[in-house]
Amino acid sequence: MTSRRYFLKASALGAGAMTLAPSFNQLFAAAGTVGAPKRFIFIRKSSGIRPLEVALPTFSDKDKALDEKKEALEVDLDQHELPKWLRGLEEHKENMTILQGLSAKMSENVHFSFSSVMGCFKSNRNTLSAIKRTTIDFELAKLFPSPFGHVELSFAGGRTGIVSGYSAPAPQTRNYCYADPETARSELFKSVLNPEAVTSDNDMLSFLRSKEGLEESGIRGREKQRQEAHLQSIEAIRERNEKLIEISGSLAKFLPEIDPVHADGGPNASTPEKQAAMTKVMISALKANLTNVVTYTIDDLGTPITGLPGNEADRVGIHPLGHDEAFGGVPAWKTREQIRISHVNQIKAIVEELKRTPEGNGTMFDNTMIMYFPENGETHHGVGKESPFVVMSGKKCNLDMAGRYVRLPKLGVEGHKTLGNWYTTLLNAHGNLMEHYGDLDLEMARKKLDQTGPIQQFMA
Amino acid sequence: MPVKEENKHEWFPESNSLGLAVLIAMVLLWSSSEKLSGANHRFKLSGPVEDLLENYCYDCHDETQKGDIRLDQLADLETDKRLDLLNQIQEQIYFKHMPPKKKDQPDDEERKVLLDFLSRELAVFEASTLEGKLQKPEFGNYVDHEKLFSGEYCDLPAFTPDRRWLISEYIYNAKFQRILKGRAVMNHGKRRIEVRGSKRLDRLDISNPFLLPKTIGVRYYANEDLTGGHLSSMLTNSQKVSQHITEYLVPRHGKSRTPYLPSVVEILKMEEDHKATLALRREFLENHIERICAEIYGGKHESLLPKFIPVVLKPLPKLKEGEKYKRAPMNVSTNMLKKLEADRLVYHTLSDPEFAHLDDDQFRVYCERIWFFRGDHSRTIQSRMALLREYVPDFREIAEKNGKRIKKVVYQALEDDDMAAIRAAILKHRKKGDFYLDVIEKCMDDWEKGFQEERIAAGPPSDELFGQLVTELSTLILERPPNGEESSQYLGQIKIYTEKLGRRKAVQKLIQTFLLSTEFVYRNEFGIDEPDEHGRRMMAPRDASYALAYALTDQSPDEELVAAAQSGRLNTREDYRREVERMLASRDGRTIIDPILEDKNYRDNSTDLPIRELRFFREFFGYPKALEVFKDEKRFGSDRLDQSTNRLVNEADRTVEYILEKDENVIEELIGTEKFYVYHDGDNERMREASEKIKRIYAYFKNTGWEDFGYPELEKHKEFLRKEPMRSINPDKLKSGNRQGDGLKLFKKSLTTITARLDKGQKHAPPFDLYRGYGTDFMWGGNVAKFWGYRKDNWDWSPEQPMKVANRRGMLTHPAWLIAHAQNTETDPVIRGKWVREKLLAGTIPNIPITVDAVIPEDHHQTLRSRLASATETNYCWKCHEAMNPLGYSFECYDDFGRFRLEEDLEYPENLLEKKPDKLPGRNHLIDLRDIYKSLPVDASGHLAGTGEAELDGEVDNAVDLAGRLSKSRRVRQSIIRHAFRYFLGRNEFLSDSRTLIDAEKAYLENGGSFDAVIVSLLTSDSFIYRKPLTN
Repeated sequence: MTSRRYFLKASALGAGAMTLAPSFNQLFAAAGTVGAPKRFIFIRKSSGIRPLEVALPTFSDKDKALDEKKEALEVDLDQHELPKWLRGLEEHKENMTILQGLSAKMSENVHFSFSSVMGCFKSNRNTLSAIKRTTIDFELAKLFPSPFGHVELSFAGGRTGIVSGYSAPAPQTRNYCYADPETARSELFKSVLNPEAVTSDNDMLSFLRSKEGLEESGIRGREKQRQEAHLQSIEAIRERNEKLIEISGSLAKFLPEIDPVHADGGPNASTPEKQAAMTKVMISALKANLTNVVTYTIDDLGTPITGLPGNEADRVGIHPLGHDEAFGGVPAWKTREQIRISHVNQIKAIVEELKRTPEGNGTMFDNTMIMYFPENGETHHGVGKESPFVVMSGKKCNLDMAGRYVRLPKLGVEGHKTLGNWYTTLLNAHGNLMEHYGDLDLEMARKKLDQTGPIQQFMA
Repeated sequence: MPVKEENKHEWFPESNSLGLAVLIAMVLLWSSSEKLSGANHRFKLSGPVEDLLENYCYDCHDETQKGDIRLDQLADLETDKRLDLLNQIQEQIYFKHMPPKKKDQPDDEERKVLLDFLSRELAVFEASTLEGKLQKPEFGNYVDHEKLFSGEYCDLPAFTPDRRWLISEYIYNAKFQRILKGRAVMNHGKRRIEVRGSKRLDRLDISNPFLLPKTIGVRYYANEDLTGGHLSSMLTNSQKVSQHITEYLVPRHGKSRTPYLPSVVEILKMEEDHKATLALRREFLENHIERICAEIYGGKHESLLPKFIPVVLKPLPKLKEGEKYKRAPMNVSTNMLKKLEADRLVYHTLSDPEFAHLDDDQFRVYCERIWFFRGDHSRTIQSRMALLREYVPDFREIAEKNGKRIKKVVYQALEDDDMAAIRAAILKHRKKGDFYLDVIEKCMDDWEKGFQEERIAAGPPSDELFGQLVTELSTLILERPPNGEESSQYLGQIKIYTEKLGRRKAVQKLIQTFLLSTEFVYRNEFGIDEPDEHGRRMMAPRDASYALAYALTDQSPDEELVAAAQSGRLNTREDYRREVERMLASRDGRTIIDPILEDKNYRDNSTDLPIRELRFFREFFGYPKALEVFKDEKRFGSDRLDQSTNRLVNEADRTVEYILEKDENVIEELIGTEKFYVYHDGDNERMREASEKIKRIYAYFKNTGWEDFGYPELEKHKEFLRKEPMRSINPDKLKSGNRQGDGLKLFKKSLTTITARLDKGQKHAPPFDLYRGYGTDFMWGGNVAKFWGYRKDNWDWSPEQPMKVANRRGMLTHPAWLIAHAQNTETDPVIRGKWVREKLLAGTIPNIPITVDAVIPEDHHQTLRSRLASATETNYCWKCHEAMNPLGYSFECYDDFGRFRLEEDLEYPENLLEKKPDKLPGRNHLIDLRDIYKSLPVDASGHLAGTGEAELDGEVDNAVDLAGRLSKSRRVRQSIIRHAFRYFLGRNEFLSDSRTLIDAEKAYLENGGSFDAVIVSLLTSDSFIYRKPLTN
C-alpha cells in the first residue's frame, strides 16, 4: 500500500520534480534532516578547459615536466601562484583543489555533452532515451533533501524562462531549469511573490480528492487500497502547499533584489550582470535552505556573451572563440580568458558570501563544495581524455583534498581515474556507498585495468 | 478476517505443497483480524518455532553466522533489522532455498509452522514483502510447470481479479498524440508514411512518468500503483499540455471546419480577437510609426523626437608583436546580426536602390539613427554598431547577392477603425522626447486596458457554454461524455476557477483537472452484471473494448470496437474472438517499433503488424538491449558502431516480423531459423535494384584503368555518370565534390569499394558506400556485416532475404541477442544460461546471495570459460550455476559482439601480437582496426537438461546444436506460451489458469504453429474475459 511516507519517497526527487518546484511540492521532504546539510554547486562551462590553463605557472621544472607528461603529481597550492584567471580566488587557496587527469570518455564530448557529463553515459546528442541514470547532482540531492531537492540554473543557448535542462532526476527524464535570473527569483520565491498560484493548485487538488473519493464506493480490496493511497498522495501535496504558504513570511527575508535590467529575461543585461544576478539568486536560495544542490550551466556554445572587459561593445560567440575566431580586435584567447575570469568572479562571490554567513559554529561555506568544470573535456572539441576540475570546499568537507594541485595518472595506465571514480568518491563520502557510479571506460576495460570505486586518496 | 472459500483456492500457485494460498491466507489472517499495534508488540519465539530453528537453522546461523546471518538473537535486534531478517527467512523457506539441499529438510507441516509464525510476525507491522514479489514477472515460474500443463487443474474456474491497470509508457504517448493531434512520419522503403506510436510532440516536451522497467522479459504488468511520483509528473505535464492547448492548438485550428475544442474557441473568442487586434496594431506601428507620426504632427514631428546621442565605441586595440588576430568569419557575423535583430534593417537598406548612395559610414549613421529613435537599448545599439564597424562590406555583399529575395516592407493602412484608434492613441500618449517604442507601449497598454474592461463587462460565459466545454473535454480526454452528476461537478469547478483566475487560466485548470483524474491513467477492467456460479462476471463492454485494444495495440479502441461495445456486440466469447481476429488480420497503418531508434533518427523503423504482437517477442528475447550496451569501436574493428547496432536491432525486428507474418511454426522458427536479414530493409526488389546499379557502374569502369584517371579522363565518362549518377559527383561540375574531397577523389574512393565488393566473383553488391550513398538506395549501417563475420571487401551478400547464414540458428544466435546478453568487453555465459533456463525451460534461479562477490578472476592465459569455471564450479556456487553455465557455455562460439569464433582472443596488453591503427586511415571501412592477440581455442560444448525429453537433453556441441534441440522442445513451446499469457494478461499465471494455457498450446498446434491462434485463445479464455472482485 502506498503510504504517505512512501509518497514522499516516491515524489521527492522523482520525475517532474523541477516543475513542481514552482509549486513547492517537495517542500517538506526534508523533514527529519539533522544538523547542517552538505551543499554542492556544480558549475558547468562550455568549450573545454585546457589542462595547461590550470597548470601552475610556478611549477618547478621537475613538476612541470611531470605535468606535461601527464604523470601523477601533487603539490600544495600555498607554495605556488595561481594561473592569472584563477587569481580572484587567491585568498581562498586553502579551500581550492585543482584536479587534473580525470578522463570523461564515457560521456559525450566534442562540442556538447548535454546530460552525459553529469551522468557518465553517452547522451546520443541529447535524446531522452539515452539518459541512462540519475545524474550525480540528483543523486547527491537525495542524500541531502531540501524543499526543492535540486535547482538547475542555466544560461545555455541564451534562452529565458523555464526551459529543459541537462540534469536528470531519473533515467529517461529531463530536468527543467531556470534560464534567467528573474525567472529563477520568481519561481524559487514564488510562495512569497505569487501565493495565488499555489492556492489555485490546491483548489484543483481539493476537487480531485473529493471526486476520487466519491467514486470509491464500487471498489473493493486491493483497488480500494490503491484508491486510498492515491487520495493520500493528493492530500500530501495539498498539505505541503498549505504549509508553504504558512512559511512564506520567513522566506521573505531571503528574497533577493535584482536590477530591473533583468526584467523579461534581461535582453539588455550584460553577461557579467546576468551572471552576478543569477549568483545572487542562487546564494539566496541556499541561505533560505530551499536547496542544497545547484547545477549551474554558466554557458554553452550558444550563450550570447556581451560586456566583457576588452570586448565591452561586442556580442561575442563562444563557438567562434573556440575556433580562435575573434571579435572587436581582441585575440580569441584573451576573450576566452575573460570569460573564465567572469566565471571565477561568480565562484568568488559564492565563497565569500557563504563564508560571511554563520551556520552552527562555523559558516555556510564550511559545508559547501563548488565544482567548476568543462562540460566537454579538455578543448573546444574535447575528446574526454582529460576533464580538469577546480573544486572549492569548506572546512567540514568530507573529502581530504583542499589546498592541493593534484594530477592523477593519465588515461590507460594503472591508477588512472575517470569521472565515474570522481562521482563515486562524492557519493561514497556522503553516505551512498555504491560500488561505482557511471559507465566504465572502455580503454581501461580493454587494458583490464581496475577502474571502479572511489578515489581513495581523497577519502577522509 | 478469514478468507472466503470462493475467493481463495483457484488462483494460487503451488510452487510447493504449501503454496501461496497458505501464505496469503496467513498474511491476511494476521493483518486484519488480530492486528496488533507494532509499537506494543513484543517479539517472542514460540516453543515449536524455536525447536525448528534449532533443528534446521542454528547449525549454521548461530554464532558461526554463515553468510553473516545469525538467527539465534532475533529478539535482541532492532525492529527494522528484525523485520528485514524475517522477510529473508520467509523467502528462503517458501522457495525451499533453505536449508541447503544436503542438509536435513523440514517436512511440509514443519515449513507451514515456520511460515505461519513468520507471516504473523510480519503482518503485525504490515512488513511482508513476499506477497508483492510473487506478483512480479520474475517470480512467474514459481508456479509448477508440470502441474499447469498436467490437465489435473482444468476444472478450476479461471478469472482475473477486477482491477485497474496503470497505462504503459506507450499508451501514455498514444493518448497525448491523440489528444494533441500529433502526427509523425517515417521512411518506409522509398516512401514517407504517417506512423503511430511516436513519442515526439510538436512544440511540446513532456516527461513520461510511466516508463516501463528496462528488464528483459515481460515488462508491463498490472501490479504497479499510481504513486506520488507519477502524480508529481502528471501535475507538471498537465500544466504544459493545458497551455499548449489554449495557446497553440485552439488558435491554430480555430478557423478550420472542425475546430479544436469549439467551446474554448467561443469562451476565448473575445480575448483572442483582442489579441489579434493588438498584434496587428503593434506590427503596423513597429513598421510605420515614423510615417504616421509625420502625418499627424507634420512639421512638428521632428521637434518631438529625443536628441540623437550616438554610441561611442572604443578604438580597436592594437595587437602586440607576434600576436595573431583571426576575425570571426562571415557566417558568424550574419548570425550575430540576426540575433541582435538588426538583419532586417541592414539588408533592406543595403538592397534598396533608394539608399544606394550611402557609403559605409553614412550607412552606419543611418542605421544607428533609426535604432536610436525607435528606442532600442543603447547596449544593443552598441553591439550592432561594433558589428557594423567590421562587417559592412560583407553585409553589402550578401544584400547584393540576395537582393531580390529580401522582402520589402510595404506600407498598407489598416481598416479605418484601427487607423482612427492608432491616431487617437498616439495623440493622447506621445510626449516630447519619447522614443517610438515608448509611444507604442503606451498605446498598447491603453488598448489592453480598454479590451479588459470590455471583457469584464461581457460577464462570464453561460452555463450552457461551460457545459459544452465539460462535455468536449471529457470526450477528448476520457473518450466518453460525462454523466449528469459529473457534468454538474465540473461545471461548479470551472465557475470557481473562472472567478479566481479568469477565463483562459480557468479553461487551462479544467483541462489539468481532467488530465489528473485516475481514469486517464488507469485502464479499468471490471466485471458487470450477474455473477456466474463461481462469482465471475464478464467485463463491462467498454472496459472490454479497451482491454482488447490495449492487448494488441497502444491505441484506444478503434471505431469497430467502440461500435461493438456500444451496440451490445461485445458480450460473448465469440464477440471477443471476432474482434481479436479482425485486429490481428488488420494491416491498416504502421506503428513505430522502437522508440530508441526513433530518438536516434533511424528512419525505417515501423511495422504493420499489431505492435504488441511484435513487441512481445522483442521484449521476451530482449535483443533491443543491444542498443544500450556500451561497446568499444576499436574492438569492433571499425567506426560507426552506433549506426551498425541500430541496423542490427532493426534487422532482428525484421526477422521476427517475417516469421510472425508467415505465422507458421512460429516458436520453432524463432528458436531454430537459419535465415536472417543482414543489411537489408525487407524489400527484396529494392535491394536488387540497388545492387544492380552498383554492378552496372562496376561493369562499366572495370577495364577503364580508372585508378589512374585524372580529370580529363573522367570527363570522357560524363554521359555515363549522367545515366548512372554517383552521389556527390556532378557530371557537369566534376571538381565540386563535398567536404570529403573533390569529385575525382570521391569517384576513386567509391570505385575502390565497388570493386572490392565485386572483384572476387561476388554475385551481388550491398549498397553501402564510404561517404554517402546512392540516394534512397543507400542505407546506413553497412558495418553491420562485421557482427556476422562478413568482410566488406569480400561479402557474398544477397538481395533476396532473409538468407541463410552459416553458424547461426535462431534468435539466440542473432548478434543483437548475443550483445544484449553480454558485458561491455566480454561474453556472459551466466546471463545467457540464466535466460535459457528461465525463459525457455520454465526454470527458476534464486537471486544471487548478498554474501557472494560475483567476480570472475583475471587470468591472462585462460579463456573466460576457464576463469568462470574456476569461480563457479565449486560446491557452494554450483548448486545454482549448474542450471546456467552448461547452457551459457554453448554460446562461447560467439564473442561479445556476437561474432562467430573458433579462437578466443586473450585481450591483455602482454598478449598483443599486432597493433592495428586506432582510427581508420582515410576513413577506409575495408580496414579492420582490431588488434591481434594471442588466442586459445574456444570450447563451446555444453549440456542441456530440463526439456523433459530424453532425445533432446544431453551434451551439446555449441549454441547452434543447442538451438536446434530447443526448437523441438515441447517445454520450450509451453514456456513461451506461459510468457505470452503474462504479457497479454498482465499478471502471473495460477493453477486456475491451467486450462487457458493448455488451450493456447492446443490452438497453436492445431493451427500449424500459429502465434495468432495463441493470442486468440488467450484473449477469449476464461482467464481474460471473466473478472471477479476480490475482497482482499
